[in-house]
Amino acid sequence: MSKTSTKRVLTLLLFASPALLFYLIFTIAPAFGGAWYSLTDWNGLNPSYRLVGFANYKEALADDPAFVRSILFTMKYVLFMVVLQNAIALLLAALIETRRRSRTWFRTIFFTPNMLSLIIGGYMWVFVFTKVLPELAERTGAAWLDRSWIGDPAWSFYAILILSLWGGVGYLMVIYIAALQGVQPALKEAAAIDGANGLRIFRYVTLPLIYPALTIGVFLTLSSSFKVYDAVYALTGGGPGRATQVISLNIVEEAFSFSNRYGYASAKAMILFLIVLVITLLQLRFMKRREVEA
Amino acid sequence: MKPARGMSMESLSRQEGPGPSARPPGRRAVGSRFVSGLILLLLLGCSVFTLLPIYMALLNSFKSAGEMLSDVLAWPSSFDFANYADAYRKIDFPRSFGNTVLVTVVGAVGIVLFASMAGYKMSRTPGRFSQSLFLLFAISSLIPFHSIVITLVQISKGLKAQGSTLGLGLIYVGLGVALAVFLYHGFVKSIPRELDEAAIADGCGELRLYAIVIFPLLLPITATVAILNVLWMWNDFLLPLMMLTDSRDYTLLISTNMLFGEYNNDWSAILSSLVLTMLPVLLLYVLLQKYILSGIADGAIKG
Repeated sequence: MSKTSTKRVLTLLLFASPALLFYLIFTIAPAFGGAWYSLTDWNGLNPSYRLVGFANYKEALADDPAFVRSILFTMKYVLFMVVLQNAIALLLAALIETRRRSRTWFRTIFFTPNMLSLIIGGYMWVFVFTKVLPELAERTGAAWLDRSWIGDPAWSFYAILILSLWGGVGYLMVIYIAALQGVQPALKEAAAIDGANGLRIFRYVTLPLIYPALTIGVFLTLSSSFKVYDAVYALTGGGPGRATQVISLNIVEEAFSFSNRYGYASAKAMILFLIVLVITLLQLRFMKRREVEA
Repeated sequence: MKPARGMSMESLSRQEGPGPSARPPGRRAVGSRFVSGLILLLLLGCSVFTLLPIYMALLNSFKSAGEMLSDVLAWPSSFDFANYADAYRKIDFPRSFGNTVLVTVVGAVGIVLFASMAGYKMSRTPGRFSQSLFLLFAISSLIPFHSIVITLVQISKGLKAQGSTLGLGLIYVGLGVALAVFLYHGFVKSIPRELDEAAIADGCGELRLYAIVIFPLLLPITATVAILNVLWMWNDFLLPLMMLTDSRDYTLLISTNMLFGEYNNDWSAILSSLVLTMLPVLLLYVLLQKYILSGIADGAIKG
C-alpha cells in the first residue's frame, strides 16, 4: 500500500467512524446479537445460558400455533395492503394530475395522515369506529356502518386495513405523482393523436413508463406491511384474544410481556427477518426484470 | 433504482400541465366534462374520508362527556377549553413536548452531521475499502426494526442508555444514520471534484473543506434527510415505549398512549390530548408543506 492510499484510508476512517460507530452499536450488533441469542435459551436476565441449536426455530414453526397464525394473518394483511395501497395511491395520483387548480389542495389533504403517528391515527379511528359510525348508521339508516369494527375479528381485519390505508396511501401517492410528472407529455399527445383514449393512454403509455416507481411502491408497502405494529396496537392490541395479532406484536409480547424468553423471541425475530428478506428480494427481482428502459 | 429524475420542488408545485387524460381540445367536450366532474366528486369523497377522523376528534374535543353522548356529530355548544386544560395537565404537555424535541433534535443533528461526513468521504474515496463500507451501510435497509429491537433493548440497558431521553436520541442516530449515508453518498456525486482539489491546493484542510465548502452545498439533501428523520422520530412509538421507563421522560406519543390506557372511556380527555399531540406536527406541515412533500418523494426514490 502506498503512502498516499494509506493516508486516504485513514482520512476516510476519520470521516466515517462516528457514523460507523453508532451504526455498529445500535443496528449491526443487535442484528448479530439477535442471531446468536436465537440459538440459545437465554431469558434476558441470567448471565448464563445454553446453546440449543435450532430448537427455538423448530418450536416456533411447529409447536406455536399462535405464532404461525400471526404469520398467516400478517401475510393476508400484506397481500391486501400491497394491492390496495398501490392501486389507490396510483389512482389518486392519476386523478389529481388531471386537476389544474385544485391539485395542490388534494395532494396536501391526502398526505396529511402520513404526518401523524398511526398511534394517534389509530385512537382517532377507534373513536370513529365505536362512536361516530354507529351514530351515522342510526341517522342515515346505513346499517352496514354499525358493526363491531373493533370487537369482531371478521371486521377488525378491515378496520386495520382502513386505518393502514388511511395512514399510508398519501406517501405512495406523492411518489406516484412525481413519477407521473416525469412522463413526457409529448408521448401521451402522440398516442392521443393516434386515437387512443385516456384509459388506453394510461395503460399503454404511462403505466410502462412509471413501472420503476411501481417497483419502489410495492417494495415499500411490502417491507412496511410486514413490520406493521402501531396500527394494530392502537386499534385492537392484537385482539380480541389474539385474532388480529401480527408477527411484530407476537414477537414483542414474547420478549417483554410475560414469558421473558429472549432466545425464543429472537428466533421469531430472525424468522420475520428471513421472510421479509426472501419476499422483498423475490419482488425486486421479478419487477426489475419487467421494467422498461425509458 | 432511478426513475423520474428531476422531481424538484418546482415540478411538485407545478400548477399547469396536461394530466394523463389530456386529449385534443374540442373532442367529446360534454363527455369529458362529465368525467371531470366525476373525478372531482371522487377526490372530494376521498378528502372527506381522509379528514373525517381529524375533524371528529377536533369537534368532540370541545364537548363534555354528556354532550358527546347525546350527539357526536353535532357542533359543540361552546368552544370550551376545559378539556384541553385537563389534557394539557394529564399528559404534562410542556415536559412531554420538550422531551420529544430533545430526542428528535439530538437524533436529527447526529444523523445529519455523521452521515454527511461519512457519505461525503466515502463517495470521494475510490477503492475496495470504501466500497465495503458502503455495502455495510446498505445492509441496514434489509434489517426490519422488529428483528433487532429485542437485542437493541438489551444493549441499551448495558450501555445505560435505557431510561434516558439523550440515550434515546443517540440510539436513533445509530438506527437512522445508514439510510442517510446512502442518500448523502448519492448526492455528493453531483458536486464537482474540482472544488475539493482547488480548496486543497489553496491549503484548506480536510475537515475545513468539508465544513466550509462541502456541507453548505449539501443543503438540498440535508433538508430531505432532516425531514424524513424528524418525521420518523417524532412519530416513533415502540422504541420510546421500551426505552423510557420514567414518566418524566415520556415523549408526547407515550404520554398520550398512557392516557388512553388509563382513561379508556374518557373521550373528552383522550381526544383533546390527541389534538394537542397532533398540533405541532400539523403546524409544521402547514408551514413547510412544499419542502416536506418534495423531501418525501426524493428520499423514497433515491433510497
